[in-house]
Amino acid sequence: MGVEAVVVRPRAAPMSAEPRAAVTPPGPVPVEADGQPDAAFGLHVALSVVAGAAATATWAATSGDYFWPRWVWLGLAISVAVHLLVRWAALTPSRPGKAYRVTMASLAALAVVDVLVWLLAGAGTFYPRWSLTGYAVVAATLSAIVHRRRLPWASSSELVERVDVLTRTRSGALDVQAHQLRRIERDLHDGAQVRLVALTMQLGRAEARLEDSGDEATLALVRRARDEASAAIGELRDLARGIAPPVLADRGLAAAADALGRRSASPVEVDAVLGARAAPVVESAAYFVIAEALTNASKHVPGAAVRVTLREEDGALVVLVADDGPGGADPAGSGLTGLRHRVEALDGRLLVTSAAGTGTTVRAELPCAS
Amino acid sequence: MRVVIVEDHALLREGIVALLREHGVEVVAQAEDAEGLLRIVRGHRPDLAIVDVRLPPSFSDEGLRAAIEAREIHPPLAVLVLSQYVEPVYTAELLSSAGSGGIGYMLKERVGDVRAFMDAVRRVAGGGTALDREVVAELVRGRDARSDPALERLTPREREVLALMAEGRTNAAIAEALVVTGGAVEKHVTSLFQKLDLPVSQGDHRRVLAVLAYLRATG
Repeated sequence: MGVEAVVVRPRAAPMSAEPRAAVTPPGPVPVEADGQPDAAFGLHVALSVVAGAAATATWAATSGDYFWPRWVWLGLAISVAVHLLVRWAALTPSRPGKAYRVTMASLAALAVVDVLVWLLAGAGTFYPRWSLTGYAVVAATLSAIVHRRRLPWASSSELVERVDVLTRTRSGALDVQAHQLRRIERDLHDGAQVRLVALTMQLGRAEARLEDSGDEATLALVRRARDEASAAIGELRDLARGIAPPVLADRGLAAAADALGRRSASPVEVDAVLGARAAPVVESAAYFVIAEALTNASKHVPGAAVRVTLREEDGALVVLVADDGPGGADPAGSGLTGLRHRVEALDGRLLVTSAAGTGTTVRAELPCAS
Repeated sequence: MRVVIVEDHALLREGIVALLREHGVEVVAQAEDAEGLLRIVRGHRPDLAIVDVRLPPSFSDEGLRAAIEAREIHPPLAVLVLSQYVEPVYTAELLSSAGSGGIGYMLKERVGDVRAFMDAVRRVAGGGTALDREVVAELVRGRDARSDPALERLTPREREVLALMAEGRTNAAIAEALVVTGGAVEKHVTSLFQKLDLPVSQGDHRRVLAVLAYLRATG
């Protein structure tokens, strides 16, 4: 290749003037933890300076007309630059793209040398244009090859592996979370709530006896205590339902959607065509999408009819909650943001469309293929 | 009245047994799970089963399913289901189950209101209905959501009477709860039946069923 010839030529001349003794042989350079220049490099620089000074002194002592030591200095500088480059290449950890970077740095160094030679030779006709064009062509070709290929070629297997690991660990974490929530819900029902129920029962029996005794003040106290216990039970019940609604675990999504519809202040129609039950996390996310969408509907478009549609499409559970209100809802509403995170954590999508005049539609797609 | 209790929490089971015995109710057997209920029903033929919805081994809705199955085995069996939560789906299943005995669905903590609980027990054992006021509230809310014009025509007092009737209370009990006379209650009942276009039914239980059917209808 013609380019190669150009690359080599300007380098040959100064190399001949280079004091070879000072050049460290290429190869593994002692690596120091803090990356400070090592002793060999220091010695190289020192010797180069001494050699350059000697040449300059010789020039000064002799005729002193044409400043020929410039070539000596150039040669020494090149040897130091080569040393630096080799050292840098050796110190750089081996990873994809290293060879590319070293090659590009070498090309840049050659270009600098060419320009320097031209300058020192009197800066006449800019002949390095040919060599520089050559380097540029080589660099551009190399760069095009590497950059086009790098993503799929250098790291695609790593990426695939990483995505695989993340998907697995995330789904594992979500499953664990769903189980823990269900356990908390059970603990609330079977632990604290049972004790409170037993307490209300005992207070009730005490109340019944006090009614006969005629002690009105004590009776009022006991009655208040029982009311408090009942209120606590009610709060625990709401809490448990917010964590993991029992009907969802017992009867599945269609029944739970139906229960939500009955509980809603809006007239709700549920149309569910579902096969086997999805994973608890998926069901739970779908449930809370419906709950939130129904709450929003009854809050913002009271009285509007709402239709909940549940389907399985291409390995995904599709939840559609559509109202026939005036539309124009804010798709970035606060409750929806939380839902979106929940859905996206399952690799799903949440779409809210609310054009004026067409009502609001919340659509969640949750992958459930297993 | 021969009663069987099915409840897995000993604390509650013993409490309910003690309460019933204090009020002269005969508890013939106790069980901790659904299997136990079915065995007892086959053997003892009790009049009333008081059943917890959640029972071992899976703690979901075995109690409800067992109660429905028990009524198929022994149709005159009255069932009072106690639950820690209100679930309209469960109420609907229970109300549409086979059998001729009374039906009740109440929140567990209502046991604390001894007089109301004993009233519910006697009513259900006698073939009547006892629905928790939360259940009725949800039914009414659902009907309201469909903006039923007939329901909107009811006066506030008539709505109160409707709710109490749906719980399964008799006219006398409604009169006591609202602190009005029996005659006044009868007038409200007649008026609201007319407004809802319901057939005037004889007997408390059939009247309750008519009201519940109305509230649950999706039309």
